[in-house]
Amino acid sequence: MASVSEMYDVTWEEMRDKLRKWREDNHRNSEQIVDVGEELINEHASKLGDDIWIIYEQVMIAALDCSRDDLAWTCLQELKRQFPGSQRVKRLAGMRLEALEKYEDASKQYDSILQDDPTNTAARKRKISILKAQGKSAEAIRELNEYLEQFVGDQEAWHELSELYINEHDCLGDLGVREAAVFHGGVCVCVCKQHTGSVVTLAGGQCLQECLARYGKAAFCLEELMMTNPHNHLYCEQYAEVKYTQGGLENLELSRKYFAQALKLNNRNMRALFGLYMSASHIAASPKVNATVKKANVKYATWATNQINRAYQLAGRGTKENKCSVKAVEEMLESITMS
Amino acid sequence: MGEVELSCLAYVKMYLHGCLFPRCSVNGLLLSSSPAGGAVCVTDCVPLLHSHLPLAPITQLGLTQVDVWCAQTQQRIVGYYQANACVSDNSPTPCALKIADKIAEQCNNAVLLMIDGGKMSPDYRVPPIVMYERKDTRWTLKDKHTIMLRQWEETREIANQLLDSGDHSLLVDFDSHLDDITRDWTNQKLNAKIAELASPANVCTWMSRVEK
Repeated sequence: MASVSEMYDVTWEEMRDKLRKWREDNHRNSEQIVDVGEELINEHASKLGDDIWIIYEQVMIAALDCSRDDLAWTCLQELKRQFPGSQRVKRLAGMRLEALEKYEDASKQYDSILQDDPTNTAARKRKISILKAQGKSAEAIRELNEYLEQFVGDQEAWHELSELYINEHDCLGDLGVREAAVFHGGVCVCVCKQHTGSVVTLAGGQCLQECLARYGKAAFCLEELMMTNPHNHLYCEQYAEVKYTQGGLENLELSRKYFAQALKLNNRNMRALFGLYMSASHIAASPKVNATVKKANVKYATWATNQINRAYQLAGRGTKENKCSVKAVEEMLESITMS
Repeated sequence: MGEVELSCLAYVKMYLHGCLFPRCSVNGLLLSSSPAGGAVCVTDCVPLLHSHLPLAPITQLGLTQVDVWCAQTQQRIVGYYQANACVSDNSPTPCALKIADKIAEQCNNAVLLMIDGGKMSPDYRVPPIVMYERKDTRWTLKDKHTIMLRQWEETREIANQLLDSGDHSLLVDFDSHLDDITRDWTNQKLNAKIAELASPANVCTWMSRVEK
């Protein structure tokens, strides 16, 4: 089995620098980290100096991700020897227990960290991750909300919370329900876990309200993120997707605005471009809008169509590969007529 | 109800989709190039998403584009598959049921397929899938005896080989396509690789290796 350095013709310094870059960018390319890191540790440990400790940590986490308990154990032992009694190493030991699905033991480990240091955010977040891994998303949501009351600036936590809300009661939102209503002759069929198969009228759709509320909460989390990261096009675009999913004219208009904002921040965001096209088309097609609004949205949708076509033409040049997708997009855009 | 046959190509791509994104829920559409009526033959699949499955816009976009592509290539959408991020829970989520319902509107014997993450291992003796069909308005478990996967061992070997060689990273789902639109979600390259591995000469080589 060829070594990484042989296969890619790299020196140990380059391998060490690559690991650093992945660390700084917080990449989760665990298989690569294990390949590069394991070789570095086995062959070049003496040359790494004090860097070795942070590399042990990085490789250990990657090893857990790839079910390489042998490697994770080795790294953990080295770290324990060098830093006895360290909270940071204790957390790593906890993560290993999580990887082995020994959740109770892991939880105890984190509790002992929190006893010594109640402000240890890493341990609190690991406990929430355990809840998520066990499928207890309602509890995870509750704990994460409590955590965010104390640590209001934790971006990672806000994003995690938005994801939990989105996945919690996923009914594809109001648009999906309206379509189901048409199919079943005007009566809303709710497909939430509590009411699967039963028929619930739109007016009395209490469960529908709950579901849509989750999307509202996800939107709130993304609003927090957009406020603190106004230049991040991904948060704008995700917010727009949630609004679109919530449905209704007001939300559609908001979603269009935020898709447009995402595009302003990054004009190559294809999801935002398609999102702009779809939200503008839906608004233009709605019977509730007046002629001016309709005209404006037709204009936005047409602009988006041209941009999409241009992007696909550019992409199609020189590659035979995506001819199918180019054709599919062209036909899709043609088939939706704007009157 | 009716019989369902799952082709090697469809199974391998679905399986590789799950393997490529082990920490995410993934989903996709099941296609058939056979005419309607009689048994459902799933001949191909299109992997769709690995993020934000319950959000509407990209799902709608994917469904529409695949629909158009199917019309261009004489295929039909006959089902939906999903693999949940949480390996211990392989029950269909509400959004899975919703999309499957939409598909069933156009195709009476549509199927809903959940991949059982807990049973995905290189030497598992039966395919790690659970299939549902629509009876009245509910999705119910399909009788295992009506599900056919011809040459299961060969299919499994093909999937394993692609994983070992790292070729599973060739798989492009709709999400990845939106990240880089030069990538092809119809997966022509990967299809060709799978067809090559499924050719009789290759199959004989492994079967003898497997038997040793």
